[in-house]
Amino acid sequence: MFSQLVMLGSSGMLLTALIVLWRKHVPAYISAYRLQVWLLAGVTATVGYFTSDWRLFAVAFVLVVLKAIAIPALLRTMLRRFGAQPEVRPYVNTETSLLVAGLLVLFAYVLARPWMAVTDLPTRDALPIAMGLLFVSLFVIVSRRKAITQVIGFLMLENAIALLAAVGTYGVPLLVELGVFLDALMGFLVMQIFVYQIHETFDTIDVEQLTRLRH
Amino acid sequence: MPSLALLLVPPLVAAALAIVVKPYRRFVGWAGVVLASLSAAASGTLAIQVVRDGPVFGGVGDIWRVDALSAMLALCIAFVALLASMLGPGLADERDGDPAQTRRFRIFMNAFAFTMLAAVTTGNVALMWVAVEATTIMSAIVIPLDRTKASVEASWKYILICSVGIALAFTGTVLAYFDFVSTAGEVPGSLNWDVLRDAAPSLHPELLQLAFAFILIGYGTKAGLAPMHTWLPDAHSEAPPAISAMMSGVLLAVAMYAIARWKVVVDGAVDRRFTTTLLIAFGLASVALGAFSLVIQRHYKRMLAYSSIEHMGLVAVALALGPLGMFAAWLHVANHAIAKSASFLLAGRVLRRYGTTEIDDVTGLLRAMPWTGTLLAAGILALVGLPPFGLFVSEFLLVRAAVETRHLAVVGMVLLLMAVAFVSLLGHLNRMLYGDPPPAVATGERRSWPLFALAVPIALLIVLGVALPAPVDALIRQCVASLAP
Amino acid sequence: MSRAIAILFQTLLAAGLAPLVGGFIRWVKARLNGRRGAPPWQPYYEIQKLLGKEAVVSRTASWIFRATPFVVFSTSLVVASFVPLVAAPAGRFIAGDLFAAVYLLLLGTFFLALAGLDTGSPFGGMGASREMTVVALTEPTVALSIVALALNAGSTSFSQIVSRTLAEPAAALGPGHLLAFAALFIVTLAETGRLPVDNPATHLELTMIHEAMVLEYSGPYLALVEWGASLKLFVFLALAVNLFMPWGIAVSLAPIPLAIGLVTFVVKIGVLATAIAVLETRVAKLRLFRVPELLSASFVLALLAVLSTFLTR
Repeated sequence: MFSQLVMLGSSGMLLTALIVLWRKHVPAYISAYRLQVWLLAGVTATVGYFTSDWRLFAVAFVLVVLKAIAIPALLRTMLRRFGAQPEVRPYVNTETSLLVAGLLVLFAYVLARPWMAVTDLPTRDALPIAMGLLFVSLFVIVSRRKAITQVIGFLMLENAIALLAAVGTYGVPLLVELGVFLDALMGFLVMQIFVYQIHETFDTIDVEQLTRLRH
Repeated sequence: MPSLALLLVPPLVAAALAIVVKPYRRFVGWAGVVLASLSAAASGTLAIQVVRDGPVFGGVGDIWRVDALSAMLALCIAFVALLASMLGPGLADERDGDPAQTRRFRIFMNAFAFTMLAAVTTGNVALMWVAVEATTIMSAIVIPLDRTKASVEASWKYILICSVGIALAFTGTVLAYFDFVSTAGEVPGSLNWDVLRDAAPSLHPELLQLAFAFILIGYGTKAGLAPMHTWLPDAHSEAPPAISAMMSGVLLAVAMYAIARWKVVVDGAVDRRFTTTLLIAFGLASVALGAFSLVIQRHYKRMLAYSSIEHMGLVAVALALGPLGMFAAWLHVANHAIAKSASFLLAGRVLRRYGTTEIDDVTGLLRAMPWTGTLLAAGILALVGLPPFGLFVSEFLLVRAAVETRHLAVVGMVLLLMAVAFVSLLGHLNRMLYGDPPPAVATGERRSWPLFALAVPIALLIVLGVALPAPVDALIRQCVASLAP
Repeated sequence: MSRAIAILFQTLLAAGLAPLVGGFIRWVKARLNGRRGAPPWQPYYEIQKLLGKEAVVSRTASWIFRATPFVVFSTSLVVASFVPLVAAPAGRFIAGDLFAAVYLLLLGTFFLALAGLDTGSPFGGMGASREMTVVALTEPTVALSIVALALNAGSTSFSQIVSRTLAEPAAALGPGHLLAFAALFIVTLAETGRLPVDNPATHLELTMIHEAMVLEYSGPYLALVEWGASLKLFVFLALAVNLFMPWGIAVSLAPIPLAIGLVTFVVKIGVLATAIAVLETRVAKLRLFRVPELLSASFVLALLAVLSTFLTR
């Protein structure tokens, strides 16, 4: 039951990342990210429940407050400022992106084999999915043109690592968890500042325009 | 313990002071300098203490762990931070800049210095990671000090690429932690470096290989190793000169420090050749990329940035070449920190006078700014590895280590690439130094205290190059010893 | 009851029930739109009407045009005779498995596309090319979904798959299962010409795919083609329902399990048909160049299903 629930939650997280590759409008990305955070909180809480580690409940709670409520709100404010410009021509088109995502998940499965062989934790089936989510988030960052989509890709990358820590090691020590949260929050705030700055100086958040620096 | 506090607390105090005093006043800058010198002095005493007595621990649960390597890096960081503090906006400007910008600079420069110091003095690999991520954030905020398109673009690329890299490094950390927990169970202090190092022989090799791959790519992005270096020339050239000095001089070294720490852990479980091959591959790629990019350079700040990539590549190669190579690596890190930070700060002075970053537009440096020109020439001669400067010694030791460990192909390539860099850098330097200054540029230079401040690093380089002082030698030997498995 | 009689009974049941499913979906959509709508058994009247009318055939059409309605109808009927509808007894029910089912249906589609080209009318050619695009993109997904199911069960025969899922209900919640179901559902919508891929009620040049191919058919030919199409929808729904949620299906050929099986089958098909009707009311038809995106997404879902089944065994 434990393993099933964790597997469901992790697969759901992976599917929400696919939504970012599939859809073209930023509000859809924000909703997908919010859903992903809720699923992550669910997985963390499940791990906490089945291992009787109540600190993980606190972690899940902070996750929800910070990343499912605060950050999407900030993202939506940003979006209102810039107007809704769809991601019309990403560097890699939709069909190819989805196929590449599938291949990346396959790659993650191959990479995670030694890891899965070593352990017999009930959550180990979710390890390749977490790594797949990591690679797909990286791909989102690389293949999308709008700065705000890159930020969302980065946020999903952090979710992927949190999932990895949750299912692989049942979470990391609390101090580290705190430091990681702080870093994530500050990193996001700074990125947000930068997207505003990009918009002010360039009048667009299409990163294709950021080409002044060459050799 | 007190020297540890004196090392870490002053930058925080300086940052807090800059936050509180709004608008910026000059005394904040001077207070920052005093605090930075306090920090530098503390790092010196800490180094002496560590060489004499062994690692120093501190903090709750032994969070802080300062061994010889940490002390040496802390010394470099504190020294460069002191230079940046003295010569950054707000104190050494010929004309006072925008006070809001200066205040932002003072806050984040000190915060940046603190995060770097924290990264090298903590014994917990996860906290080290947190601190390195914090350095990215702190430095990224202050790169676009004046909001030009180029600087905004540079800082966006910087924060995105480095955050992604750091995230990968965290994945590697989690993988290694996972391996440890699955073999030894959850032990308090399981993320401490010395615990990991001691437990290494019992960990699973394939897992640690995977972890090291992630860590090398992740921290390597921060260190500017090719092919993850794309953010570096932009970020280092667009940042204010004092920040470029800190980033190029010591931040890259902090990232290499993280890689070196993990290398020791992984070497305990996996055949040495794995890390050696990877480090040499990435290192040589970086040296090649840096050297060849120098040939076509048109901007002198980017030139210095690519030179950093080249030097970090050399450090990576040296780390893979056994104990003598390690000695060469850390000596090189120290020398490079001094030389690169001085060069960037001098380049900043040139930029302020000439108003342009293009090499072609900077001519007659020796006539327009004789002192700065001479010092910059010395800095660049040091960076190409000419005697009597310290980098010659470390590069010579690197070559000797490569010969001793029978990596003769590496020797050949390194010498060739260093020659390419040598020719390019000297060519660019010559074009800048000689000739007539452009008519719009004022000629002549007063002897001011910043010049004295910048002469000190150059003098240090000569001292380190001519005769390595015994304490320094002992410190670096201890660095190598502390990294032995 | 002997196997032969059971097969005959199943075939008749399928042929008889199929038009009702299409009519039911149409009726639910009408009700959701606030209309009264034609009764669910309207398609029977339509088939009866068409059978009595004269067939008009283009002069340039060849034997393919005349043969296609029979091919379409017979392939769908043959497939309907061996997929698990009401019963999935152990052992080989009939020579036929999942691959045979899918590729027989594909044969029908292929002939339909040929017939569209055969008439020489521009609509037919356009419909045929669009249909082939869609089918080309759905086939890999179908193959992967089959592989995902077969991996779990160890065979591609229906009875094996069904009995495996019945024996391990917990596996039905697993991601491999759910992802394969999602992929197959999207494929169903694509192959049977339902929204958001194709609108079954349109005759506008810009929007029709299946309708364009059968535009030239009239009279008995049209009746057979429509019946065949509704049988195809019926078969796909039956597959979706019985491979992934087989509870209630009869595992032997005794009367009482068969009766239970029939009732649960009707209920399940009704639920799925309602879901399709609701979906069609909610979504708009995708523009043609966006259809590959949807189909790539379903391919990736099927790929993920295979990965999670295969690599975590």
